[in-house]
Amino acid sequence: MREAIEPYVQFALKAMAREATYRFEVFTSIGSLAVRVYLLRVVWVALYARNAAPHGVPLHTIITYSAVALLMGLILDIDQTSLLHDKLHDGSIVVDFMKPISVPLYLFADGTGEVLFHAALIVPSLALALLIVHIDVPSAAVFGAFAVSFLLGYFVGFFLNFILNCVAFWTLEISAVQLIMTWVTDLLGGQIVPLLFFPAGLQQAIFALPFAAMFSTPLLIYIGEIPPERYAEVMGLQVFWIVALGLIATAIWRAGARRVVVQGG
Amino acid sequence: MEALLMPIIETRALRKTFRSVVRGEGLAGAVGALFSRQYEEKVAVEDVNMSVEAGELVGYIGPNGAGKSTTIKMLTGILVPTSGTIEVAGIVPYEKRRQNARNIGVVFGQRSQLYWDLPLRESFELLRAIYRVPLDRYRKNLAHFVQILDLDRFMATPVRQLSLGERMRGDFAAALLHDPKIVYLDEPTIGLDVVAKEAIRTFIADINKRLGTTVILTTHDLADVERLCRRIILIDEGTVIYDGKLERLRDEYGTHRTLVVNLKDPQPDFELSGVEIEHGEPPIVKLRFDRRSTTAEALIRRVTERYAVTDVAIEEPEMEEIVRRIYLEGYQKPAVRAPGA
Repeated sequence: MREAIEPYVQFALKAMAREATYRFEVFTSIGSLAVRVYLLRVVWVALYARNAAPHGVPLHTIITYSAVALLMGLILDIDQTSLLHDKLHDGSIVVDFMKPISVPLYLFADGTGEVLFHAALIVPSLALALLIVHIDVPSAAVFGAFAVSFLLGYFVGFFLNFILNCVAFWTLEISAVQLIMTWVTDLLGGQIVPLLFFPAGLQQAIFALPFAAMFSTPLLIYIGEIPPERYAEVMGLQVFWIVALGLIATAIWRAGARRVVVQGG
Repeated sequence: MEALLMPIIETRALRKTFRSVVRGEGLAGAVGALFSRQYEEKVAVEDVNMSVEAGELVGYIGPNGAGKSTTIKMLTGILVPTSGTIEVAGIVPYEKRRQNARNIGVVFGQRSQLYWDLPLRESFELLRAIYRVPLDRYRKNLAHFVQILDLDRFMATPVRQLSLGERMRGDFAAALLHDPKIVYLDEPTIGLDVVAKEAIRTFIADINKRLGTTVILTTHDLADVERLCRRIILIDEGTVIYDGKLERLRDEYGTHRTLVVNLKDPQPDFELSGVEIEHGEPPIVKLRFDRRSTTAEALIRRVTERYAVTDVAIEEPEMEEIVRRIYLEGYQKPAVRAPGA
């Protein structure tokens, strides 16, 4: 058992080491986060000067929401399976298929290592953000629920990215699809503007989409907009998306891998 | 020891066809292909039968597009044959890809299996985990490869900073860390300088001899083949056209030799019957003769009877030339065997 897992643990560790070699990127990602926290504070303060507490959300809450959303973005904005696209693009995927490993598990482990490295950046980023804005801290119970929901959101994002990268099995090039995906996630995920501010009629539909399951659900738990009695419902929806997207990802992977073994990539 | 007599690689009537999209010309064709697709069947491997014993070192050669890489991919299990059977070390590769992977090592001249961003040493550690090589075994193998491939100087260098020669040496160690029974080498010397080529060739000969590793070597560099392979399999248009000893091919095909004559004075109208004459840099003439109809000794005698000669040399047919002829004309087993050749 230990032997079976070890390669994947090693993949994750090596991915962390690899990310650490791009030091400049590390500093710029922390720096750009601080700038974005500052800008969002300016924007929200200006907006709230005209309209105090829209939808009953006070200014300090919305600033907390934005700052936590940006910190979550350190993890959720990473396309942890971009390796698949790269490997399909340059054909090096065949080398991985010649190894005694499960290729999707390898991609998952590599992505996890990449994400874990970037997760470590949350600490310095948070320290920097706290110099700029005040961040409300919820009760331990709420924070615990947020953490679980965040983890579920991570898996939703993982499968969305994985499916997207699998498209490269057929097209090799996926940058256009990725761009659309980024716009949609930005708009409908609730990272920049809370979905509470969308028209009531639209909200129901948007909350049901997988994008909301990434950012919006954990964030609304964090600021207390989703009360404990609704945890089961919203997290149930997150789990639903993980299962649904997981099944789609499995099917599309099988079809793609079959294409490699039949058509030679 | 019956097991030793069983072939380690065996293919029967192996065939692989690909379906590819037929595309019209230019932009209109490209756009058209987006909407309606027409496919054509392309035969990459027509009919390959090969049987390789454990411990053999076989050169698998043929012109571009002959089906070499497709065959190798089927042997590694990443490509499913259209028809025919294939067995490698008792396993059907495409049915048990991962199990087959443990028995084989692969080196591609044009593609590295090392991890680009990581120091060479870390790639090896990763491969140890992947192939579950016991630690003591790993240390022993690595120490050996470091020594004979001279890897010490760049073990801590990220792979992307290595020269091609260094990277190839790293790739060889990577392919062999888990003591594979069989290694497939796909153009392992491509782009290397003479010294690096020789280092790689020595290494291949060594693992084959010392470890008994079965080697399938695909190459366009016939010097690799001449230096390393006792047996070659020649493939063209997806079919094996020759399978046997290298020398036999040379005997059968290399019927012509060249006598290089250095004359005392230039002879622009040099003449001699029964040979092809090619004028080199004066005063050199080259006489291409069929060694089945005359001997070098007789020819030299005839030349020296008529001309003043300072030096002679005999050029053996280059393997390169023999293979070029076969690629161009196809392989025909010569009907007349050389008398007493």
